[in-house]
Amino acid sequence: MEAVVALEQDAQLMLRVGEGDDTSFALLLERHRGPVVHFLYRMVQNQAVSEELAQEVFLRVYRSRLKYEPTAKFTTWLFRIATHVALNSIRDAKKEKGHESLDEEMLDGLERQVADRQPTVEQQMVHEVKRREVRQAIEALPAKQRAAVLMHKYEGLDYAQIASVLDCSESALKSLLFRAYESLRGRLAHMV
Amino acid sequence: MVCLNKNEQGAELLTGYLAKTLDAEGLAELNRHIQDCEECRGLVTVWKKLDEFTAPEVTPGFDARLYTRLAAEGARRHWWRRLLWRPLAPLAAAGALVGLALFVQNPRTPDAPKQPSKAEIEQVAQALDDLDLLSFR
Repeated sequence: MEAVVALEQDAQLMLRVGEGDDTSFALLLERHRGPVVHFLYRMVQNQAVSEELAQEVFLRVYRSRLKYEPTAKFTTWLFRIATHVALNSIRDAKKEKGHESLDEEMLDGLERQVADRQPTVEQQMVHEVKRREVRQAIEALPAKQRAAVLMHKYEGLDYAQIASVLDCSESALKSLLFRAYESLRGRLAHMV
Repeated sequence: MVCLNKNEQGAELLTGYLAKTLDAEGLAELNRHIQDCEECRGLVTVWKKLDEFTAPEVTPGFDARLYTRLAAEGARRHWWRRLLWRPLAPLAAAGALVGLALFVQNPRTPDAPKQPSKAEIEQVAQALDDLDLLSFR
């Protein structure tokens, strides 16, 4: 029920954006900025690139304001744009072989945790090692499987929504997820 | 057979388990199986392991950068509008008026078959009568 209410609110906000109400766009941005950036971060595994891609997503949302029709849940539409942008970026990055080094990402993670100042240094290092292993396991998945797992695990989209985003049937999506989790199980089997 | 890897319904069972939509009987059966099957235990616990992959907070300047780009796009659009649409609008309007005037003066329906006039029909009938007279002679 909450999801339906949220859908209606988001769709209504987007329709208002089309009528020229920029406050509604600010509300949509406030509500979805985090999930979109986090999804893209886990897809491309680079903070600067993920924020750049998220900017592109919200620019496309704004450009579509006049022709937007609430035929699907707003989040489904939004993540369809985000997935499209991410898959294009991954494809282009593969061509250019321009991945950022893992060392920089590792440093990035450690800096964030130092800022937390709660866990001990040892706990931080254990967490960082686990984080890197999970990150690498997810990175090793084919892009479509990766997108499906990320929307399923971290963004809370239901199977129907993810299937719609990836343009496949629900049963095909479940098979895709099964293969992805099976692959992750193999890669993370040693992790306690 | 409830083993996820040896079951045609493995994907349904796993996704049902993760979404907490399995019925009580199916859930109990899978939980019993997981105790003895390391692979299936690994499949359902990998979900928990993914919690380790945290994402950083969005940087504070994100919205400002986005609004700057939106404003730049808007300004670019206005610039093109000034450059293109303003001189083109009167031209387009003048063209439309000329077209309308031509149409009113000389309306054409090129696709419709042309109907013969009454005079043309009479002419053809007369010609046929003349031919008949000639053939009798």
